[in-house]
Amino acid sequence: MSTPALDGTAGDPGRTVRVVIVDDHAIFRSGLKADLDPRIEVVGEAGTVEQAIEVIGRTRPEVVLLDVHLPGGLGGGGREVIAGSAALRGTTKFLALSVSDAAEDVVAVIRAGARGYVTKTISGAEITDAVYRVAGGDAVFSPRLAGFVLDAFGTAPADIADDELDKLSARELEVMRLIARGYSYKEVAKELFISIKTVETHVSAVLRKLQLSSRHELTKWAAERRLL
Amino acid sequence: MTTVPVRPPLVRSSDRIIAGVCAGLAEHLGWPVRMVRIGMAVAALAGGAGLVFYGWLWIMVPTADESAKRNARRPASPIAPAVSIAPAVSMPPNQSAAVGPSLWSDAYSPGYPSGPVAPPLGGPAAAGPVGYSSAANPAPSGPYVAGAPSQAEGTAAVPGTGAWFRVRNMRYGKEILLGAGLLLVAAILIARLLGVEVPLGTLIPAAAILGGAAIAWMQLDETRRAGLVDKTKADQAGGWARLAAGLALVVAGVLVMVSGSGSWEQTWLALLASVAVLGGVALVLLPWGLKFWRDLETERAGRVRETERAEIAAHLHDSVLQTLALIQRRAANEHDVVRLARAQERELRGWLFRDPARDAGQLSDRIKAAAAEVEDGLGNAVDVVSVGDTAMTDRHEALVQASREAMLNASRHGGGPVSVYLEVSDGGAEVFVKDRGSGFELHTVPADRLGVRESIIGRMKRHGGSAEINSSPDGTEVRLKLPAAAEDNGEGKS
Repeated sequence: MSTPALDGTAGDPGRTVRVVIVDDHAIFRSGLKADLDPRIEVVGEAGTVEQAIEVIGRTRPEVVLLDVHLPGGLGGGGREVIAGSAALRGTTKFLALSVSDAAEDVVAVIRAGARGYVTKTISGAEITDAVYRVAGGDAVFSPRLAGFVLDAFGTAPADIADDELDKLSARELEVMRLIARGYSYKEVAKELFISIKTVETHVSAVLRKLQLSSRHELTKWAAERRLL
Repeated sequence: MTTVPVRPPLVRSSDRIIAGVCAGLAEHLGWPVRMVRIGMAVAALAGGAGLVFYGWLWIMVPTADESAKRNARRPASPIAPAVSIAPAVSMPPNQSAAVGPSLWSDAYSPGYPSGPVAPPLGGPAAAGPVGYSSAANPAPSGPYVAGAPSQAEGTAAVPGTGAWFRVRNMRYGKEILLGAGLLLVAAILIARLLGVEVPLGTLIPAAAILGGAAIAWMQLDETRRAGLVDKTKADQAGGWARLAAGLALVVAGVLVMVSGSGSWEQTWLALLASVAVLGGVALVLLPWGLKFWRDLETERAGRVRETERAEIAAHLHDSVLQTLALIQRRAANEHDVVRLARAQERELRGWLFRDPARDAGQLSDRIKAAAAEVEDGLGNAVDVVSVGDTAMTDRHEALVQASREAMLNASRHGGGPVSVYLEVSDGGAEVFVKDRGSGFELHTVPADRLGVRESIIGRMKRHGGSAEINSSPDGTEVRLKLPAAAEDNGEGKS
């Protein structure tokens, strides 16, 4: 799946970013390493939950490219790695990577604390861009993730009376819709006559809501949908 | 055969005065309810026969709900034959000849377990590779797809029907047995009335033994029948009760028969002795029994797992391995490889994440199908994101057609992946088709090119919707909007 939302300005493209790749398929790890931009330094690799927690704790990378489905641990996969690396929260950021686009996988790993979600068929340039974006503290939303968010929160904007975590504001809805339609952050900014920074702020706010909302519909929704 | 009118099953109706017996009976016999009720009341006056009959029906005839529940469980049982006949349906090796030796044998060995494989009742095999058959080189898939499912069904069908006959014959076994028993009692009573000496002392214990044995054996047959399929707690509890009742009847019958006289003291002693012996035997045999039971359970679980594995293996073989073989042959053609990989990915995703509870034919399914078709045809990735869904109507059909046309255009002229977004809300359905091509101006499109003007804009307008085309050097986006009609406002939305 392509993720055209990821082009344009991202973080600070000049500097080197230290990443750890966590995936149980060695072939995929080496392929991803070859695909990544040379400015991205792969400081460690891991294939299981235990290895991942150990490697992340030792190397303290800026970004972890994290497969959602991992062997080992208690069977929690990527979620468990994020939970096991809680001590590094704030310095290390997680970008979830998966072949699955089942809703419950996506939403579970985002709610565990990942800053974004991309599918494995994404190109090397796109994933480089996503790494920079996550390293810079922004969220990475693929069109499909935006679709999940719209489906989960509903497409009606929040009233003042609503709990702000349970609904998206009208502006956030607009941004999510455009991302779901395949717009890049830059194109969203152009379409809505706002700056890219503002788009990033909206996206981060949506991510926060997705992570923090206790809206029971959200979990129920995620459990009900096996596929979208 | 066909001249016999098909009667509705005898169940207790919900249209009831006491227990719905009369209404149910009337429905079953095709008589007016009032007549049946009056008849029943009159019969009740005749020595209480009506009351007895009513009570009997009350006990024996299930309510409509119970009956439906019982019938709903039945179709599950044909799975059991599929499990037990597994060894019979191993793939005949000569099939490889029909398919093309290299393709089949290469793909065959890694995917299949070495043991016998039963495609369970043609399910996954018949489902077949959806994307595959429409892909570039369908030639090798032809014979296999056509041949294998029919083979599997052909073999599986025979034991399946056999099991059904047995189930059908057993259905009224209980009632027939009970009737026979009652007839026997009536015969004895009449015989005694006529003055014939009936050796009751021997007959009653014998009847008890027979009855107990019948109850216990019926139980055994039923467990075997339901077998691997469903073992709910309630069933088991009922089974145990039945087994205990049967055992008690047989033991009592044997005791009375052996002790002969039927004096309480003797019977009591004999009972104690027999229970003690039984207990001793049970104590000795218990470990073996438990071990045997556990082995049986393990084997059962293993067989269920094996069937699941066989289903997965069969599916992977039909789809993924075939596609991989094709990809190897066409490795030189990057376009074909990507197209095959995409089609296979889509098919596998559909299989892995399919939700059998969801009914097909929703708008999002149709849009996704259209995207898949365009993707297969032009080899350009078309990604669909959908929010909300609705049941299809004629107007939605127009929306799907217009979307398809837009996807075709985007894929043909845009280059690069196409993004499709479908949103269904109370206000209506919207579809956005976006590409990243160099864009075009609508007025520069020749008037005789009907694609955009007719198939997209015109079609949407005719069905009360609208279409808007936004083109820039960065790409083109087609926006289709179909407001909800007044009558189906919000209906069917999930």
